[in-house]
Amino acid sequence: MKETILLTKHMRDNPEGSHLIDSYEKNNGYSTAKKTILESSPEKILEEIKASNIRGRGGAGFPTGVKWGFLAEDEDRYLVINADESEPGTFKDRILLERDPHQLIEGIIITCFSANIKEAFIYIRGEYAKPARRVQQAVEQAYQKGYLGKNIFGSEINLDIVVHLGAGAYICGEETALLNSLEGRRGEPRLKPPYFPAVKGLYMKPTLVNNVETISSVPWIIENGGEEYNKLGVEGSTGTRIFSLSGHVNNPGNYEIEMGSSFGEFVETLGGGIRNNKKVKAYIPGGASAPWFRGDQLDIKMTIDDVANNNSMLGSGAVVMMDEDTNLVSAAKSIVSFFAHESCGQCTPCREGTTWLEMILDRIASGRGRTSDMNLLLDVCDNISPGLSWPPKMTTICPLGPSAVSPITSLMNDFRDEVESLIPTKVLL
Amino acid sequence: MNEKVNLNVNGIEIESDPNKLLIEACEDSGIHIPRFCWHKRLDPVGMCRMCLVEVETPRGKMLVPSCTTEVSDEMVVDTESDVVKKAQEGVLEFLLINHPLDCPICDKAGECPLQDQTMAYGPGESRFVEEKRHFEKPINISEIILLDRERCILCARCTRFSDEISGDPLIEFIQRGNKTEVNTFPNEPFKSYFSGNTVQICPVGALTSTSYRFKARPWDLKSTRSTCNGCSMGCSTELNSSQNKMLRILGVDNDTVNQGWLCDKGRYNFEYLNSDSRLKTPLKKIENELVEIEIQDVYSELSEVIKDRQTKVNFLLGSNLTNEDYVAFREFSEIISQSEKCFYLNDDMLHPGFFGENVELAKVDDLNSSDAIVVWAEDLKEKIPVLYLRIRQAVKNGVKLVVFGHTNETLSDIADVFYGKETVSENFEIVKDISKLKEIKEYVIGKNITAILGKSTPHQSDKSVTKLFEFLNSNSNSKVLNAYSKGNTYGAFQTLENVKGLNDFVNDISEENTDLLFIVGADPVGRSVYSNQIKSIIEGLDKVVALDNFNHETSELANFLIPMSSTLGEKEGTFTNIEFRTSRIDKLVPSPGQTVSDWEFITSLMNFAGLTVETNSLESLNKKAYENLDPSLSPVFDNLDKPSNLDGMVNVSKPKISSTDNNSNEVKFFTGEKLYGDSATERHSDSISLLGSKKYIEVGEGVIEKYNLTSGKCTLIQDEFEVAVSYEVNKSFPNDLIYIPTNRRELNKFDFSREIMIIPSLVKEALDVN
Amino acid sequence: MSWDDKLLKQAKKIIKLYPQKRSALGPLLHLAQSKDGYISDDSITVISELVGITEVQVKSVSTFYSMYKQEPTGKYLLSVCKSISCEINNSSEVINKVQEFTGLNNNETDEEELFTFEAVECIGACGGAPAVQVNYETVEGVTPENAINLCKWLKETKPDVVVADEMQENFGGIKSFDWAIQDNSGATSTAPGFQTLKTTKVKK
Repeated sequence: MKETILLTKHMRDNPEGSHLIDSYEKNNGYSTAKKTILESSPEKILEEIKASNIRGRGGAGFPTGVKWGFLAEDEDRYLVINADESEPGTFKDRILLERDPHQLIEGIIITCFSANIKEAFIYIRGEYAKPARRVQQAVEQAYQKGYLGKNIFGSEINLDIVVHLGAGAYICGEETALLNSLEGRRGEPRLKPPYFPAVKGLYMKPTLVNNVETISSVPWIIENGGEEYNKLGVEGSTGTRIFSLSGHVNNPGNYEIEMGSSFGEFVETLGGGIRNNKKVKAYIPGGASAPWFRGDQLDIKMTIDDVANNNSMLGSGAVVMMDEDTNLVSAAKSIVSFFAHESCGQCTPCREGTTWLEMILDRIASGRGRTSDMNLLLDVCDNISPGLSWPPKMTTICPLGPSAVSPITSLMNDFRDEVESLIPTKVLL
Repeated sequence: MNEKVNLNVNGIEIESDPNKLLIEACEDSGIHIPRFCWHKRLDPVGMCRMCLVEVETPRGKMLVPSCTTEVSDEMVVDTESDVVKKAQEGVLEFLLINHPLDCPICDKAGECPLQDQTMAYGPGESRFVEEKRHFEKPINISEIILLDRERCILCARCTRFSDEISGDPLIEFIQRGNKTEVNTFPNEPFKSYFSGNTVQICPVGALTSTSYRFKARPWDLKSTRSTCNGCSMGCSTELNSSQNKMLRILGVDNDTVNQGWLCDKGRYNFEYLNSDSRLKTPLKKIENELVEIEIQDVYSELSEVIKDRQTKVNFLLGSNLTNEDYVAFREFSEIISQSEKCFYLNDDMLHPGFFGENVELAKVDDLNSSDAIVVWAEDLKEKIPVLYLRIRQAVKNGVKLVVFGHTNETLSDIADVFYGKETVSENFEIVKDISKLKEIKEYVIGKNITAILGKSTPHQSDKSVTKLFEFLNSNSNSKVLNAYSKGNTYGAFQTLENVKGLNDFVNDISEENTDLLFIVGADPVGRSVYSNQIKSIIEGLDKVVALDNFNHETSELANFLIPMSSTLGEKEGTFTNIEFRTSRIDKLVPSPGQTVSDWEFITSLMNFAGLTVETNSLESLNKKAYENLDPSLSPVFDNLDKPSNLDGMVNVSKPKISSTDNNSNEVKFFTGEKLYGDSATERHSDSISLLGSKKYIEVGEGVIEKYNLTSGKCTLIQDEFEVAVSYEVNKSFPNDLIYIPTNRRELNKFDFSREIMIIPSLVKEALDVN
Repeated sequence: MSWDDKLLKQAKKIIKLYPQKRSALGPLLHLAQSKDGYISDDSITVISELVGITEVQVKSVSTFYSMYKQEPTGKYLLSVCKSISCEINNSSEVINKVQEFTGLNNNETDEEELFTFEAVECIGACGGAPAVQVNYETVEGVTPENAINLCKWLKETKPDVVVADEMQENFGGIKSFDWAIQDNSGATSTAPGFQTLKTTKVKK
């Protein structure tokens, strides 16, 4: 199995400064944007994006062309780049921001041209200080060259980009929470309906919210054509995708591949196998929110639909391998703690439920569990995500609450013994 | 346009207006869906998740919050399915895991939605074995409100109210996730005129008020519906008492008036009813001493004065009378006096208003349907607070707001244009050509306008407001809401004729034309800008009878002091509000000692004097009050008591106001009244008594420099009279303007047509609060 | 106002970047963090005036985000990741060692105001687990021993600019990806080092 290098080509070929505009331009950077602005039309661009069948790389996998098509008419429309990458296991946007920010900016220019947008924001999580500096530097360089600002590339078109730093809140990766945050509010998700960003987004204006990787793919798609992109990968999961591989593997890292091979092949070849030749006990196929697969499920294909058909999700493309020695209760607790910590607190089931789950797991993990906790865990989960089905139903406003349910149902469905073994037997007196 | 949609809820077909929320549509059809965060008057947030129901969708049944889901035609809804019940039980359990078990000592117990719904839908016992979330409890977040964060279920009703409705977001969510709490900023407590509403809408006992805390249990309360007579808005209230003591006032959701809200003064200014300082026996002044006297002796002495029907009687009437009281005085005056009838209202700012043939009068609801609202009047936030809320509501709905003059700077944050000191001079004249103002062209000319007009300050010439009125009347399709702010002013307009204000009282009244003066529920000496003149006029009169709840600076000048029942809770009658809406004032608690209603006193006096009175009962006065109206539409008790009329009945009439302009007075000082003052009732209502005690002035920026003020305190001096005050700079004021609130103690005692010296105070102790 | 002219000027420049003032609230809170090492009540008052909202609204927003500290921090904010990839790669041991060295519990600051320690959720360095940040400058592949070495180095040299690449070279190990060319920019406070905030410098 080999990588297919589109998005990461420039950075690989130019390790000595791929984040700088000179290097980017030397490799034909900004030529696609320039051609687009001067020669193309918004409709043509949208057609190419639709033809590429690219689906959003943030986690939900919504078709990008369709999303752009939904954007309501208005004099003021905004593009917001979601660079709030915070899903445990995920670090693929970080490399795109840090190593090739101009590719993202070029994608933004083309996107804004297509959607008739004059102002874009790049919302970068606050902990990504170095990536943010690289992006800010790149934005400044692009302004100097006249690729941003007034009359870009000598056209009638104006475009401004503001790089905005978040401040430590995973929930701001949820697009409406991100918009609240960008408006200087608490990062609480908005109600959908009525606040669909494409209609009532930033400042209640129509807003496109797209992931870094999605927009970074735009220059290649426009340069080579949507059809070419569509030929890569498999139906429903076209193009390449950067997977973040971590956990107990020999070669963790970001890998740009066409979707379609199996997780097992991916780990064995690019990942270099599991450390110390251990076996996989369980793995997370798409970030901390995704239900786990067992070690005997490594032949599942890495496509959005295959993973979904096996009751999990490809999500943000974060694959975390857990070997046979892993304490899965601790692992689950770590994930549940994460969601409890990151719950915005707006809705009752998530605010109270995730913390309660954390408390119960903590009790079990430290040997203070009760037999009744097994059912209690599942029932509390059921009150957050009724039926414990996949895709999850929810009693919550947004999917964060149900995300905390995933590791617990995984644990209880496939590794129940491991949990039970931690509960002390009752001593009769 | 109101095509209905049909939906199926629990197998029953129901009909609803489109765009309604599912929870409302169900409610209208008698299907109750439990809820905590949803409140009819607040934007839905879908946070508590208690109102989840199942709706059929192409992808199968989905759980949705009924408070954020709009109805649609052919919607199929299940509010009682197993999934719904499980979800609701789950939510309740989640809410209860951190909720303290202190119901036995909680004010809310017995009327607590959380408690009620736990009984109805909740789990029998708790599966939560960990320690509950702890906070210090309760904390004072203002002089009148306490917050118990352990009880709080984070429904955001209080935070939404203060952000969306009252526009003073001083209470907010702090922290996030499971640590989230509601709180205020330490240096900026919950200083809102509307904070009591948050206590009322809190679905648990997290927000409580100092006045009601630990006083009663809901099941012991007696209650009745009434009307607040604190200002001319006439908000609908529910009065609560226990053991014959008034304990609480709640806002009633009267859609056309207050929509459930009250200002804090209307809500909390009631404790005086139980004050030991209330007048309870008639008093007579003998050799400058007030001594107790039998009421029969009062009648006997006064009937000597009136029985020959030649007595020259005058009336100075407060705004806290019922319409029936006003009628009683009118009838009395008809019978005993041969001279021209005239009634002086206790109002510094009475002016003829805009009631002419060419004027269309506005209703409060017109605010919502206008293109724009134009305001030039007293500070509405201070004087008619709930009208201020209704203006905010209209603006939120997209109505434009045009505000003139620094008096309504409190509306400037939501105004589309605020014409401040560049447009309105220190003398309260519009100094620019109105027709040339940009926003007037944009929002006003040719548009549907609701104009809220009135005088901004006592010394303002009537003509200046007339100028704006005339412009609006000829350049837009305008309706006028005359902004008389005081209590039952409109009741007086409706029942009395030849009505005048205090400036006319000062000009008119003398020994020669007044044998007998009745001062009823009025303390102009303590409040009015004409204080000194009024005082010396009263002192020059032979016979003065004061009827009041308390002895105060005016009543102490009288020869007779008659203890009155309070219109709040101790009397029955009717009240007419700013849009001529008449509604019921009701009695809930006994009137203490020998206190009587005004009408009872005056009727008894006439009986004693052997004068024939037709109107010798409350019912007959009530009928008399509206005898000129169509009996089926008039607000007589029988009509008002019909369920469909509980919100009041509107009967617009053209009042006969004969006040004269006082433009001879040159304005040197801008005076007005703040919501809280130190009136007798406020002084004797412990919870709020300190809120209006601070003596302070507001000044334009130039004043600071001119008088070299630095310490935040200064002293006002005129002749021998001086008052130490603190000052606040108001940037919207013309440079040299000084605002003096005359309902703060002593501050009305200056002669405002003459210079007042201001010297900086260096000694902090000079400023003794209260 | 307790902000000096320079900071106020910076604040006003940031406000101008946005179509609506309130959007600058986040960056202004970062400024406040860089000024005092936490969000002081004074700063809240200043910001509320700059942005035109009430103080409690500012407080409400500032306490929502974990990077705005509610208590004063030390010169170096040590953030050790404990999320899943780090958790299964022995981050608890790194946490133990850092706590041992500094003597600090979670979210505590030492008396010299040198270190503040926190165990944090995912910092996006999962391929280089376990990972640590010092003033939001990332070091990847940190062994328990190197965690101590890193702390020691900070304590001894007290660098004014904390640079990710420098720390990575000296105390890091396996990385999430090739960092390529050496970058000497870093952070100057416990707010993230970022040009717009003037909280970053290039270490000579």
